[in-house]
Amino acid sequence: MKKILIWDIPTRIGHWLLVAVFILSFVTGDSEEWRLFHVAAGYAVGGVLAFRMFWGVAGTRYARFTSFLFSPLQAFRYVIELLKGKPSHWLGHNPAGSYAIYLLILLGFATVVSGFAVYAEIGGEWLEEAHDALSYCMLGIVGIHVLGVIVGSWAHHENLVRSMVHGYKMGNSEEAIDSGKTYWAIAPIATAVLASMLVFIT
Amino acid sequence: MITKKTFITLLLLVSANSTFAETPASLVSGYAAEAAKTSPGFTPSAKRGQSLFTNEWGVSQKMPNCTTCHGKNIKAEGKHVVTEKRIAPFSPAANPERFSSAAKVEKWFKRNCTEVVGRECTAAEKADFIQFITQGG
Repeated sequence: MKKILIWDIPTRIGHWLLVAVFILSFVTGDSEEWRLFHVAAGYAVGGVLAFRMFWGVAGTRYARFTSFLFSPLQAFRYVIELLKGKPSHWLGHNPAGSYAIYLLILLGFATVVSGFAVYAEIGGEWLEEAHDALSYCMLGIVGIHVLGVIVGSWAHHENLVRSMVHGYKMGNSEEAIDSGKTYWAIAPIATAVLASMLVFIT
Repeated sequence: MITKKTFITLLLLVSANSTFAETPASLVSGYAAEAAKTSPGFTPSAKRGQSLFTNEWGVSQKMPNCTTCHGKNIKAEGKHVVTEKRIAPFSPAANPERFSSAAKVEKWFKRNCTEVVGRECTAAEKADFIQFITQGG
Protein backbone atom coordinates (compact mmCIF):
# COMPACT_ATOMS: atom_id res chain seq x y z
CA MET A 1 0.00 0.00 0.00
CA LYS A 2 1.30 3.40 -0.97
CA LYS A 3 -0.02 6.81 -1.94
CA ILE A 4 -1.48 6.57 -5.42
CA LEU A 5 -3.22 9.10 -7.67
CA ILE A 6 -6.97 8.47 -7.97
CA TRP A 7 -8.60 11.78 -8.95
CA ASP A 8 -7.10 13.61 -11.93
CA ILE A 9 -6.68 17.39 -11.86
CA PRO A 10 -9.65 18.22 -14.17
CA THR A 11 -11.98 16.20 -11.92
CA ARG A 12 -10.72 17.95 -8.78
CA ILE A 13 -10.83 21.44 -10.27
CA GLY A 14 -14.27 20.70 -11.67
CA HIS A 15 -15.42 19.48 -8.26
CA TRP A 16 -14.30 22.53 -6.29
CA LEU A 17 -15.39 24.90 -9.02
CA LEU A 18 -18.84 23.33 -8.83
CA VAL A 19 -18.84 23.79 -5.05
CA ALA A 20 -18.00 27.47 -5.52
CA VAL A 21 -20.51 28.28 -8.25
CA PHE A 22 -23.25 26.26 -6.55
CA ILE A 23 -22.80 28.24 -3.31
CA LEU A 24 -22.63 31.55 -5.18
CA SER A 25 -25.78 30.86 -7.16
CA PHE A 26 -27.63 29.51 -4.14
CA VAL A 27 -26.96 32.50 -1.86
CA THR A 28 -27.85 35.05 -4.56
CA GLY A 29 -31.11 33.33 -5.53
CA ASP A 30 -33.42 35.64 -3.58
CA SER A 31 -31.80 38.89 -4.65
CA GLU A 32 -32.77 41.21 -7.49
CA GLU A 33 -29.62 43.30 -7.05
CA TRP A 34 -27.49 40.20 -7.57
CA ARG A 35 -29.70 38.79 -10.33
CA LEU A 36 -27.16 38.95 -13.16
CA PHE A 37 -24.54 37.43 -10.90
CA HIS A 38 -26.98 34.67 -9.92
CA VAL A 39 -27.75 33.84 -13.53
CA ALA A 40 -24.05 33.87 -14.48
CA ALA A 41 -23.17 31.58 -11.54
CA GLY A 42 -26.06 29.28 -12.47
CA TYR A 43 -24.87 29.00 -16.07
CA ALA A 44 -21.39 28.27 -14.72
CA VAL A 45 -22.91 25.32 -12.81
CA GLY A 46 -24.23 24.11 -16.15
CA GLY A 47 -20.82 24.64 -17.75
CA VAL A 48 -18.97 22.60 -15.11
CA LEU A 49 -21.57 19.84 -15.37
CA ALA A 50 -21.29 19.78 -19.16
CA PHE A 51 -17.55 19.26 -18.74
CA ARG A 52 -18.24 16.52 -16.18
CA MET A 53 -20.44 14.67 -18.68
CA PHE A 54 -17.63 14.78 -21.22
CA TRP A 55 -15.08 13.76 -18.60
CA GLY A 56 -17.29 10.89 -17.53
CA VAL A 57 -16.56 9.38 -20.93
CA ALA A 58 -13.12 10.80 -21.77
CA GLY A 59 -11.56 11.16 -18.32
CA THR A 60 -9.23 8.90 -16.38
CA ARG A 61 -10.28 5.60 -14.80
CA TYR A 62 -12.13 6.73 -11.66
CA ALA A 63 -13.68 9.77 -13.32
CA ARG A 64 -15.38 7.66 -15.99
CA PHE A 65 -19.03 6.74 -15.48
CA THR A 66 -18.25 3.11 -16.34
CA SER A 67 -16.13 2.92 -13.17
CA PHE A 68 -19.08 3.80 -10.98
CA LEU A 69 -22.11 2.17 -12.53
CA PHE A 70 -23.79 0.35 -9.66
CA SER A 71 -27.21 -1.20 -9.22
CA PRO A 72 -29.56 0.28 -6.61
CA LEU A 73 -29.16 -2.99 -4.69
CA GLN A 74 -25.38 -2.50 -4.51
CA ALA A 75 -25.92 1.05 -3.25
CA PHE A 76 -28.38 -0.20 -0.65
CA ARG A 77 -25.96 -2.91 0.50
CA TYR A 78 -23.19 -0.35 0.86
CA VAL A 79 -25.38 1.86 3.07
CA ILE A 80 -26.22 -1.17 5.25
CA GLU A 81 -22.50 -2.01 5.52
CA LEU A 82 -21.79 1.61 6.42
CA LEU A 83 -24.46 1.56 9.15
CA LYS A 84 -22.91 -1.63 10.53
CA GLY A 85 -19.57 0.16 10.54
CA LYS A 86 -17.89 -2.29 8.15
CA PRO A 87 -18.29 -0.90 4.63
CA SER A 88 -16.42 -2.42 1.70
CA HIS A 89 -13.64 -0.18 0.39
CA TRP A 90 -13.66 1.50 -3.02
CA LEU A 91 -10.84 3.58 -4.42
CA GLY A 92 -13.15 5.55 -6.68
CA HIS A 93 -16.80 6.38 -5.96
CA ASN A 94 -18.53 3.85 -3.70
CA PRO A 95 -21.92 2.42 -4.82
CA ALA A 96 -24.00 4.78 -2.66
CA GLY A 97 -21.86 7.84 -3.38
CA SER A 98 -22.23 7.18 -7.10
CA TYR A 99 -25.93 7.87 -6.87
CA ALA A 100 -25.24 11.20 -5.19
CA ILE A 101 -23.02 12.10 -8.17
CA TYR A 102 -25.66 11.12 -10.73
CA LEU A 103 -28.42 12.91 -8.83
CA LEU A 104 -26.32 16.05 -8.48
CA ILE A 105 -25.63 16.08 -12.21
CA LEU A 106 -29.30 15.52 -13.09
CA LEU A 107 -30.66 18.01 -10.54
CA GLY A 108 -27.95 20.47 -11.51
CA PHE A 109 -28.94 20.42 -15.17
CA ALA A 110 -32.65 20.56 -14.30
CA THR A 111 -32.07 23.56 -12.03
CA VAL A 112 -30.00 25.38 -14.63
CA VAL A 113 -32.46 24.72 -17.46
CA SER A 114 -35.46 25.78 -15.36
CA GLY A 115 -33.54 28.86 -14.21
CA PHE A 116 -32.75 29.76 -17.78
CA ALA A 117 -36.44 29.41 -18.69
CA VAL A 118 -37.48 31.63 -15.77
CA TYR A 119 -34.94 34.28 -16.74
CA ALA A 120 -35.95 34.12 -20.41
CA GLU A 121 -39.60 34.35 -19.28
CA ILE A 122 -40.50 31.12 -21.01
CA GLY A 123 -43.25 29.30 -19.14
CA GLY A 124 -45.17 30.58 -16.20
CA GLU A 125 -45.20 30.96 -12.45
CA TRP A 126 -44.90 27.22 -11.90
CA LEU A 127 -41.41 27.26 -13.39
CA GLU A 128 -40.23 29.67 -10.69
CA GLU A 129 -41.58 27.26 -8.08
CA ALA A 130 -39.99 24.30 -9.85
CA HIS A 131 -36.64 26.10 -10.05
CA ASP A 132 -36.84 26.84 -6.33
CA ALA A 133 -37.78 23.27 -5.43
CA LEU A 134 -35.06 21.79 -7.65
CA SER A 135 -32.39 23.97 -6.06
CA TYR A 136 -33.48 22.85 -2.59
CA CYS A 137 -33.45 19.20 -3.70
CA MET A 138 -29.93 19.77 -4.97
CA LEU A 139 -28.93 21.29 -1.62
CA GLY A 140 -30.42 18.22 0.07
CA ILE A 141 -28.31 15.85 -2.06
CA VAL A 142 -25.25 18.03 -1.36
CA GLY A 143 -25.98 17.55 2.35
CA ILE A 144 -26.29 13.77 1.96
CA HIS A 145 -23.11 13.71 -0.16
CA VAL A 146 -21.16 15.65 2.53
CA LEU A 147 -22.58 13.40 5.25
CA GLY A 148 -21.55 10.33 3.24
CA VAL A 149 -18.05 11.76 2.83
CA ILE A 150 -17.75 12.35 6.59
CA VAL A 151 -19.05 8.89 7.54
CA GLY A 152 -17.01 7.20 4.79
CA SER A 153 -13.83 9.03 5.87
CA TRP A 154 -14.39 7.95 9.44
CA ALA A 155 -15.23 4.33 8.56
CA HIS A 156 -12.18 3.86 6.30
CA HIS A 157 -9.75 6.05 8.26
CA GLU A 158 -9.04 8.05 5.12
CA ASN A 159 -9.64 11.76 4.59
CA LEU A 160 -11.84 11.85 1.50
CA VAL A 161 -11.98 15.65 1.43
CA ARG A 162 -8.20 15.88 1.25
CA SER A 163 -8.19 13.20 -1.47
CA MET A 164 -10.44 15.44 -3.54
CA VAL A 165 -7.86 18.22 -3.02
CA HIS A 166 -4.57 16.45 -3.76
CA GLY A 167 -5.99 13.45 -5.62
CA TYR A 168 -4.24 10.70 -3.65
CA LYS A 169 -5.45 7.70 -1.69
CA MET A 170 -3.67 4.68 -0.23
CA GLY A 171 -3.72 1.72 -2.60
CA ASN A 172 -1.74 -0.66 -4.78
CA SER A 173 0.38 0.96 -7.46
CA GLU A 174 -1.33 -0.92 -10.31
CA GLU A 175 -4.62 0.76 -9.34
CA ALA A 176 -3.25 4.28 -9.80
CA ILE A 177 -4.10 6.52 -12.72
CA ASP A 178 -1.21 8.15 -14.54
CA SER A 179 -0.77 11.86 -14.00
CA GLY A 180 -1.06 12.76 -17.68
CA LYS A 181 -3.98 14.77 -19.05
CA THR A 182 -3.16 17.62 -16.63
CA TYR A 183 -3.61 20.22 -19.39
CA TRP A 184 -7.28 19.25 -19.39
CA ALA A 185 -7.49 21.14 -16.08
CA ILE A 186 -8.29 24.23 -18.11
CA ALA A 187 -11.44 22.59 -19.54
CA PRO A 188 -13.83 22.85 -16.55
CA ILE A 189 -12.72 26.45 -16.00
CA ALA A 190 -13.21 27.29 -19.66
CA THR A 191 -16.67 25.71 -19.88
CA ALA A 192 -17.73 27.48 -16.66
CA VAL A 193 -16.52 30.88 -17.90
CA LEU A 194 -18.02 30.44 -21.36
CA ALA A 195 -21.35 29.26 -19.95
CA SER A 196 -21.51 32.17 -17.51
CA MET A 197 -21.06 34.58 -20.41
CA LEU A 198 -24.44 33.43 -21.74
CA VAL A 199 -25.84 35.92 -19.24
CA PHE A 200 -25.07 38.64 -21.76
CA ILE A 201 -27.28 37.17 -24.46
CA THR A 202 -30.20 35.70 -22.48
CA MET B 1 -64.49 33.43 17.13
CA ILE B 2 -64.25 30.21 15.14
CA THR B 3 -67.62 30.81 13.51
CA LYS B 4 -66.55 34.36 12.60
CA LYS B 5 -63.36 33.03 11.00
CA THR B 6 -65.33 30.39 9.12
CA PHE B 7 -67.75 33.03 7.96
CA ILE B 8 -64.96 35.26 6.66
CA THR B 9 -63.33 32.31 4.92
CA LEU B 10 -66.63 31.37 3.28
CA LEU B 11 -67.19 34.97 2.27
CA LEU B 12 -63.73 35.05 0.68
CA LEU B 13 -64.37 31.79 -1.11
CA VAL B 14 -67.69 32.98 -2.44
CA SER B 15 -66.30 36.32 -3.53
CA ALA B 16 -63.40 34.64 -5.29
CA ASN B 17 -63.85 33.37 -8.82
CA SER B 18 -64.07 29.72 -9.81
CA THR B 19 -60.29 29.14 -9.61
CA PHE B 20 -60.30 30.43 -6.01
CA ALA B 21 -57.92 33.19 -7.03
CA GLU B 22 -57.75 36.32 -4.91
CA THR B 23 -58.64 39.84 -5.97
CA PRO B 24 -56.77 42.99 -4.94
CA ALA B 25 -59.73 43.86 -2.69
CA SER B 26 -59.77 40.48 -0.97
CA LEU B 27 -56.02 40.73 -0.39
CA VAL B 28 -56.39 44.22 1.10
CA SER B 29 -59.12 43.07 3.48
CA GLY B 30 -57.10 40.00 4.44
CA TYR B 31 -54.01 42.04 5.30
CA ALA B 32 -56.13 44.73 6.97
CA ALA B 33 -57.77 42.09 9.21
CA GLU B 34 -54.33 40.82 10.17
CA ALA B 35 -53.10 44.36 10.88
CA ALA B 36 -56.19 45.10 12.98
CA LYS B 37 -55.16 42.34 15.39
CA THR B 38 -52.23 44.42 16.61
CA SER B 39 -53.61 47.91 15.88
CA PRO B 40 -57.41 47.88 16.41
CA GLY B 41 -59.38 50.06 14.03
CA PHE B 42 -56.76 49.83 11.28
CA THR B 43 -57.98 51.09 7.93
CA PRO B 44 -55.89 50.78 4.77
CA SER B 45 -54.59 54.05 3.38
CA ALA B 46 -53.63 54.57 -0.26
CA LYS B 47 -51.67 57.64 0.80
CA ARG B 48 -49.49 55.67 3.20
CA GLY B 49 -49.16 53.03 0.48
CA GLN B 50 -47.91 55.63 -1.96
CA SER B 51 -45.25 56.84 0.44
CA LEU B 52 -44.06 53.25 0.85
CA PHE B 53 -43.79 53.07 -2.92
CA THR B 54 -41.87 56.30 -3.39
CA ASN B 55 -39.89 56.39 -0.16
CA GLU B 56 -36.13 56.47 -0.64
CA TRP B 57 -35.19 53.55 1.62
CA GLY B 58 -31.54 53.66 0.66
CA VAL B 59 -30.88 50.13 1.91
CA SER B 60 -29.83 48.84 -1.49
CA GLN B 61 -27.57 51.16 -3.45
CA LYS B 62 -28.75 50.01 -6.83
CA MET B 63 -32.39 49.77 -5.77
CA PRO B 64 -33.05 52.53 -3.24
CA ASN B 65 -36.83 52.43 -3.79
CA CYS B 66 -39.64 50.56 -5.51
CA THR B 67 -39.80 53.05 -8.38
CA THR B 68 -36.20 52.29 -9.37
CA CYS B 69 -37.51 49.24 -11.21
CA HIS B 70 -41.30 49.60 -11.24
CA GLY B 71 -41.25 53.21 -12.46
CA LYS B 72 -43.21 56.12 -11.05
CA ASN B 73 -46.23 55.47 -13.25
CA ILE B 74 -47.88 52.30 -11.94
CA LYS B 75 -49.93 51.89 -15.11
CA ALA B 76 -46.82 51.78 -17.30
CA GLU B 77 -44.17 49.10 -17.69
CA GLY B 78 -41.12 49.22 -15.47
CA LYS B 79 -37.54 48.26 -16.24
CA HIS B 80 -35.32 46.15 -13.99
CA VAL B 81 -32.35 48.37 -13.15
CA VAL B 82 -29.88 45.47 -13.11
CA THR B 83 -31.09 43.11 -15.84
CA GLU B 84 -32.86 45.79 -17.92
CA LYS B 85 -35.73 43.37 -18.45
CA ARG B 86 -39.20 44.82 -18.77
CA ILE B 87 -41.54 44.55 -15.79
CA ALA B 88 -45.28 44.34 -16.44
CA PRO B 89 -47.32 47.28 -15.10
CA PHE B 90 -48.00 47.25 -11.37
CA SER B 91 -51.60 48.45 -11.55
CA PRO B 92 -54.30 45.75 -11.89
CA ALA B 93 -56.13 48.22 -14.12
CA ALA B 94 -53.33 47.94 -16.67
CA ASN B 95 -52.37 44.36 -15.86
CA PRO B 96 -55.19 42.11 -14.57
CA GLU B 97 -52.75 39.40 -13.47
CA ARG B 98 -51.49 41.63 -10.67
CA PHE B 99 -52.64 40.80 -7.12
CA SER B 100 -54.60 37.73 -8.16
CA SER B 101 -52.63 35.15 -6.18
CA ALA B 102 -51.98 35.39 -2.43
CA ALA B 103 -48.97 33.09 -2.65
CA LYS B 104 -47.36 35.13 -5.39
CA VAL B 105 -48.04 38.40 -3.57
CA GLU B 106 -46.51 37.03 -0.36
CA LYS B 107 -43.48 35.72 -2.21
CA TRP B 108 -42.72 39.04 -3.88
CA PHE B 109 -43.41 41.16 -0.79
CA LYS B 110 -40.94 38.98 1.06
CA ARG B 111 -38.24 39.14 -1.61
CA ASN B 112 -38.54 42.81 -2.47
CA CYS B 113 -39.22 44.23 1.01
CA THR B 114 -36.22 42.35 2.40
CA GLU B 115 -33.98 43.80 -0.25
CA VAL B 116 -35.36 47.31 -0.71
CA VAL B 117 -36.86 48.14 2.70
CA GLY B 118 -34.27 46.11 4.56
CA ARG B 119 -36.82 44.02 6.46
CA GLU B 120 -40.07 42.19 5.79
CA CYS B 121 -43.10 44.43 5.33
CA THR B 122 -45.87 44.36 7.93
CA ALA B 123 -49.46 43.34 7.20
CA ALA B 124 -50.48 47.00 7.60
CA GLU B 125 -47.91 48.08 5.00
CA LYS B 126 -49.06 45.39 2.60
CA ALA B 127 -52.71 46.47 2.97
CA ASP B 128 -51.75 50.13 2.41
CA PHE B 129 -49.59 49.23 -0.54
CA ILE B 130 -52.20 47.20 -2.43
CA GLN B 131 -54.77 49.88 -1.61
CA PHE B 132 -52.51 52.45 -3.29
CA ILE B 133 -51.75 50.23 -6.29
CA THR B 134 -55.45 49.61 -6.96
CA GLN B 135 -56.74 53.11 -6.21
CA GLY B 136 -53.77 55.25 -7.20
CA GLY B 137 -52.32 58.05 -5.07
